[in-house]
Amino acid sequence: MSAGTQVHANLTEEQVREISGDLDEPDWLLETRLEALEALEELDMPDVIKTPGREWTNLHELDFESLVDPLNAAENKDQVGPDEADVLSWADAVQEHEELLQEHFGSIVDTQENYLTALSTALFSTGTVIYVPEGVDAEDVTVRTEQNSRSLFNYTLVVTEESSSVTILERQSTGEEAEEQYYSGVVEVAAGENSYVQYGSLQNLSEEAYNFTVKRGVADTYATIDWIEGNLGTQLTKTEVSTTLSGDSSETQIVGAFYGHNDQHFDLDAKVWHRAEHTTADLVTRGVTDDVARSVYEGVQDVGADAWDTSSYQRENTLMLSDESEADASPKLIINNHDTEASHSATVGQIDAEDLFYMTSRGVDPRSARNMLVEGFFVPVLEEIDVDELRDDLEELIGARLRQRD
Amino acid sequence: MARLELSNLHAEVAEGDEKILEGVDLEVESGEIHALMGPNGSGKSTTAKVIAGHPAYEVTEGEVLLHLEDEEFGEDIEIDEDQRTWDLLDLEPNERAALGIFLGFQYPAEIEGVTMTNFLRTALNAKIEEREELFEEEEGEDEEEEDEGFESSPMEGPADEGEVGVAEFQQILQEKMEQLEMDEKFAQRYLNAGFSGGEKKQNEVLQAAILEPSIAVLDEIDSGLDIDRLQDVSNGINALRDEQGTGILQITHYQRILDYVEPDHVHVMLDGQIAKSGGPELAEKLEDKGYDWVREDVYGTA
Repeated sequence: MSAGTQVHANLTEEQVREISGDLDEPDWLLETRLEALEALEELDMPDVIKTPGREWTNLHELDFESLVDPLNAAENKDQVGPDEADVLSWADAVQEHEELLQEHFGSIVDTQENYLTALSTALFSTGTVIYVPEGVDAEDVTVRTEQNSRSLFNYTLVVTEESSSVTILERQSTGEEAEEQYYSGVVEVAAGENSYVQYGSLQNLSEEAYNFTVKRGVADTYATIDWIEGNLGTQLTKTEVSTTLSGDSSETQIVGAFYGHNDQHFDLDAKVWHRAEHTTADLVTRGVTDDVARSVYEGVQDVGADAWDTSSYQRENTLMLSDESEADASPKLIINNHDTEASHSATVGQIDAEDLFYMTSRGVDPRSARNMLVEGFFVPVLEEIDVDELRDDLEELIGARLRQRD
Repeated sequence: MARLELSNLHAEVAEGDEKILEGVDLEVESGEIHALMGPNGSGKSTTAKVIAGHPAYEVTEGEVLLHLEDEEFGEDIEIDEDQRTWDLLDLEPNERAALGIFLGFQYPAEIEGVTMTNFLRTALNAKIEEREELFEEEEGEDEEEEDEGFESSPMEGPADEGEVGVAEFQQILQEKMEQLEMDEKFAQRYLNAGFSGGEKKQNEVLQAAILEPSIAVLDEIDSGLDIDRLQDVSNGINALRDEQGTGILQITHYQRILDYVEPDHVHVMLDGQIAKSGGPELAEKLEDKGYDWVREDVYGTA
């Protein structure tokens, strides 16, 4: 019996072999999965924000034993893109692009970084590979995943070659609801020289679901990776979006919007690693917590010793709509190069009573006034979203959630 | 015709028992301009906020009544003579606004993400809707039943008939902005966000022009204005009175704006009360001699 089988009574090497076999995967990939399975025993949960006396997100309390049902994954997936780029299901990618996978799989997100990445590596059964050849502009790649099973492990790889560009819109939602569900997604983006990647994501899973997502990109010289991260669903989301600016003059923007109500919990990380000269980063996140929802945000701008002439900006604002909701924000600036222009700020507050009075004194009823203020609060973030469809969807979901309120 | 009556109004800060208003008596009618003057801390702004229903103040004694005559209700509504007076203290700020009270703020809020156009159209439609509800309550149940009959009639049109549509509103807004000589780019900017002090004040007058209040309380709308802007703002205030018959309560420190907006009545506020009232000549005297003589005059001490 291997070490992996000791971790989970219901997780076995045979299951991993079956998943890999069904996808007709090469041996190296099966080995990667088996090693990840075996590592589970040694690995801990991802880091979470701690404030004195409190660990904000308690991942240890999740009962993965009952949440994870590896052989019964079910989903409804759309993977569409233009002809000039390859937008492939995982099974097709294994057949058509093995070299690409071998080069990039696990190169950006360490498959054994923590318990959840290893679990994802061992068990993922679905995914999308987006490959954009040199010089191709690929607009409107759409990946829609509707989860229909207790657990779903998803993997996405984006590779852009020199001077290409791609706009990806990913949506995650729940089709058939179970009492509790677990969605795990790992996204790796390798942006080649002078290429542009915009990766927009809208997570609107069931409010009974748990969600673990890590999205990471590496930007080569003159490359740009822009992320849009919208979070509305789940009872617990632990997500990280980050870019390593490894090439000179590379850029990234991370735009986040979230809206938690009921007892939702969001643990959101936005991170940038400046590792080359003349790199630029802009991190903007705005969110709302209502009822007894909680949000915890950690933003990191890390400027390495060789990152000369860096520009790095970060803003995070949370608006609490109820007295019982909670929010914590922790922006961090780590600077190891003096030739840096950087700023960071975070605010947590409630709707301003004077703003509300101003609007009601002009005849707007308090409820409409409050809704206008909240919608207005999201505008600076919505304005950063270039993809009309994603912006409209987000706006609509925010509006709908506001109108649900008493 | 509308008449706002403050009688023996006492108010304190809601959290704490600091008394700010100690028996204010004041009456403003349609078409009149009243200047309310007085040193800092005398209770002028508090009076304005209490009229509009600011939650930070608690009224401990007295009344704020609004009396409306026929033409204020619109053609379709008939209200009994004895039901034309509202006690504003029973109403929420938005209900007071619907009845025709407008507060022009000394420091207007800056509202990010909400365009002027969107906000003002929402406010205008909310006013129309709220008035219907307020007047229906006064009309009594018989009338309401009749209304229900109309609602099912195919001749009545859509349910939200009476709402000001986007195109119609654009036209109203454009017209009023031209009158006030405001740049049309303001319409698409976020409410007061990044506006200069003068632009904010001009925007307050614009909003009053669009919402067509019966009574406008303008709290130090003249502060921080250069001469050109002061004239624009003053023209706007005069137009409110001349074209819409709005009654104006103009709160100010200075005689300056009163050169352009000539008051019918001038009141001096001291220590939470109206200490002295008179005509325009009173304002001039204050400009020359300050407030101490009023104090001496009224209390016998300086």
